[in-house]
Amino acid sequence: MEVYIVLKVVWWLLLGILLMGLAIMVGMDMGVGTILRYVGRTDGERRVALNIIGPHWDGNQVWFILGGGAIFAAWPVIYATAFSGLYVVMLLLLWTMIIRPVGFEYRSKLPSVAWRNAWDWGLFVSGFVPMLVFGAAMGNALQGFPYHFEWNMASVYTGSFISLFNPFAILAGLLSVSMSIFMGAAMLMNRADGPLFERSRKLLVLSGPLALLLFSIGGIWVANMQGYTLSGATPGAVSNPLDPRVVVESASGAWLTNFRAIPALWLLPLLTYASVVLGTLAGRAGKSHFAWWMGALAWIGILGTVGVAMFPFMMPSSTQAAHSLTVWNASSSEHTLVWMSLWTAVFVPAILAYTSWAFWVMRGKVSTEQVENDEHAY
Amino acid sequence: MRIIIYFLISLWLIFLGVILGDYGPWYFAWLVGTVMIVLISAAGGALMDTQLEEEQQHK
Amino acid sequence: MIVPSETVVELSRWQFAATALYHFLFVPLTLGLSFILAAMETVYVTTGRVIYKEMAQFWGKLFAINFALGVATGLTMEFEFGTNWSFYSHYVGDIFGAPLAIEGLMAFFMESTFVGLMLFGWDRLSKAGHLSVTFLVALGSNLSALWILVANGFMQDPVGATFNPVSQRMELTSFFDLLFSHDAQSKFVHTSIAGYVTGAMFVVTISAWYLSRGRHVEMARRSLRMGALFGVFSVIGVITLGDALGFVAGSAQPTKLAAMEGMWETEPAPAPLKLIAFPSDSEQRNVGPTLELPGVAGILITHSLDKELPGIKELEKRAAERIRNGIPGMLALQRYRENPDDQAALATVREHEEDLGYAMLLMRYAPDLTQATPEQIEQAARDSIPPVWLTFWSFRLMIGLAFLMLIYLIAMATFSLSKQCAAHDFLLKISIWLLPAPFLACELGWLTAELGRQPWTVYEKLPTWISASTHSEAYLYFSLIGFTLIYLVFIVIEMFLMVKFIRQGPAGYGHGLAGGGSGTIQPVLSAPVRHEEA
Repeated sequence: MEVYIVLKVVWWLLLGILLMGLAIMVGMDMGVGTILRYVGRTDGERRVALNIIGPHWDGNQVWFILGGGAIFAAWPVIYATAFSGLYVVMLLLLWTMIIRPVGFEYRSKLPSVAWRNAWDWGLFVSGFVPMLVFGAAMGNALQGFPYHFEWNMASVYTGSFISLFNPFAILAGLLSVSMSIFMGAAMLMNRADGPLFERSRKLLVLSGPLALLLFSIGGIWVANMQGYTLSGATPGAVSNPLDPRVVVESASGAWLTNFRAIPALWLLPLLTYASVVLGTLAGRAGKSHFAWWMGALAWIGILGTVGVAMFPFMMPSSTQAAHSLTVWNASSSEHTLVWMSLWTAVFVPAILAYTSWAFWVMRGKVSTEQVENDEHAY
Repeated sequence: MRIIIYFLISLWLIFLGVILGDYGPWYFAWLVGTVMIVLISAAGGALMDTQLEEEQQHK
Repeated sequence: MIVPSETVVELSRWQFAATALYHFLFVPLTLGLSFILAAMETVYVTTGRVIYKEMAQFWGKLFAINFALGVATGLTMEFEFGTNWSFYSHYVGDIFGAPLAIEGLMAFFMESTFVGLMLFGWDRLSKAGHLSVTFLVALGSNLSALWILVANGFMQDPVGATFNPVSQRMELTSFFDLLFSHDAQSKFVHTSIAGYVTGAMFVVTISAWYLSRGRHVEMARRSLRMGALFGVFSVIGVITLGDALGFVAGSAQPTKLAAMEGMWETEPAPAPLKLIAFPSDSEQRNVGPTLELPGVAGILITHSLDKELPGIKELEKRAAERIRNGIPGMLALQRYRENPDDQAALATVREHEEDLGYAMLLMRYAPDLTQATPEQIEQAARDSIPPVWLTFWSFRLMIGLAFLMLIYLIAMATFSLSKQCAAHDFLLKISIWLLPAPFLACELGWLTAELGRQPWTVYEKLPTWISASTHSEAYLYFSLIGFTLIYLVFIVIEMFLMVKFIRQGPAGYGHGLAGGGSGTIQPVLSAPVRHEEA
């Protein structure tokens, strides 16, 4: 049974890593979509921006798909409960996200100005809305979702979709949007010159401090909101969210319990502060590569903070606290986790290697002339 | 005429495949088959240029 | 117990079918065209002839237009199990989720990362480097299909898993059984090669269209040659594997098979093959004339002369028995879930475990199983048969199209190979009308496989009706309308761009040859185009 506990924690960590990959890589592309119309004033500039992430957005997007797949494989009941409960929000996410692949591929295929403008707005929507929804989902997870299970584990969601856009969730959503703008701007600075570089720098310098401000407000908010504590769980047991021995209590400020127990965890929020400050300064000085890596670290800090605050909770229930989904009761079977770990151990290093190679192959600045003379460009 | 012969040959191949394949090692067959199909197709393309050149020489 | 309403189940099914069929319009072309691109590039790299590079780039452009929508609509699929089939996702996620995640890890990441390099990296990679990238895209997209079909194989033939009453779901017991399930194996190869056929038909029919107009002749006849050869062998493979799939279903999914063959009664072995029949689902018999080939169905499906194939009515009787056997199991399960210490209940669950799915079939009509009447059992047993008419005809139409494409591709390959023989003008002219055939065949194949699986999401383990999320009907109308609108707009745009770029044709080499299309017969091989240019 010990092995099973380790596996559950490993997959909690892996889910975190996947979410970080998603936030960093997809977030960057979505940030570019969000700021496209601002940083690119001419069609040429916009095409440069699109072609900077052009060779990579598709690969990056797989972090999102893999995130879905990994939750399904390792945390099936969360996949089932969260995505059905958040039905309308999920549709909003999917509908806006599917504009992106089409937008990239089709936008520059026709010369019409109206056509390209329409797709630019489409890319804005499909950059801004999904990041808002990602953030809002994390914000809602901290507050708990209104759901419970029938005896046969059919999940019943009792909340409305409007209530998902509560003030705290929107705050979290805006935090994620500003981080994505930071990352998108840093990426554009990496590979663009001239006005595009300058406007991106302006946005980077604005979005960094904004993210910190939102993160701070959110932190104070979390310290005072209703959190949950778990007792009576058997970490190594077969996953069963209806285990009658489990007791979940909610109290305001309970999300700080883990930080009180292990003060070293404060390093995570600290990491966020340090890396955003350094990243913003570096960005202002034009050192965008460094700023990009600092942004990535900031994401790790933010998601890490949320993760350890909630541990072992993954998806608390606000209406039937005992049915809350945790690391101990929501995972796949041991057998599945073993197999999934093997596949992950082989392929995640491979993915990181060839993704880096792809970025290396496409390195260097992208210019307007280059884009306009290249038949294959977006 | 030739088409009919080819058609019959292909039907014979299908028939053979059916006889041989109950629970065949299909993943392996796919691998071999895909490589074969790609190579045949590529060879067909290369052969075409050879044919064309020969013809030009004749003329 | 709260269950999804009938309307919600119905709408969820429509939505899933619509989004999956739509997604599956783009997938087969990706599977096949990627390997054809790789083949073209192989010729370029080995012979150094630039025209093959231009071919790869031109077809690559069309590939990209198609690929974008495949990716976009695939996003939906990855999450739709959770959004609309939450009970299903919980019940089999332990098994079903794994191949989906591995698909992302092993295949989709590879495909998507390298497709960026394939489209943007022509000037940045060496010849061999770019060729490898193209092959990796092709391999990645087909491996994607592999893992998706491993997941689908589990829905058809749930091997390698067992029910766990504590977690109240099915759990994986053998990854190898899952991966090497007969259904998954034969279905993957069948589907992947169906994609090859689609790619080949796409290249051949469009090339033939150029030739019939005398445009881009140099590129078109080479593409036609390569596509036709690629296609001939693929279509032979697809038919062979189709038979293997039928053989597998014959033992794993007797109800699907009976529906595919419109067999209401058990017929003496070897059963006849009905070429034409008109099954009536309500009357449970074939109405009107039936055209039969004696003995063929029995031989094709069982690969024997003496094995009997059970008819639908007999299968219904067996289902009723299994429903009755499932009732005590399900009741015991409920007791056990309420009191985890009830060992007697657990023992009863174990004893009737195989038929829990059948009990769930009955719960649709008798939510309280203790009160189930014989009529309700009969009703549930009747549910165990898939829609016969639809399955029967989807299957036949698919096969008809496959043989049509076989003949067509053989004809095109023969004409292309023969030295002096010009392709018939007529054949070139009608070619473009065959372009929809492979797409239609793929859709019909999906329909046969998934309609034939009904009333189950996981064959004999989990009924469709209970698998859906417990949404309000308003949600479903909202999402269905949203999907319809968005997908309609997308397909219109996609078709528009596709047609535009096909009409425009390749830039570069073949371009100067445009305008020769005054109805002259263009020999596929021996056109002296180069002399004209010189």
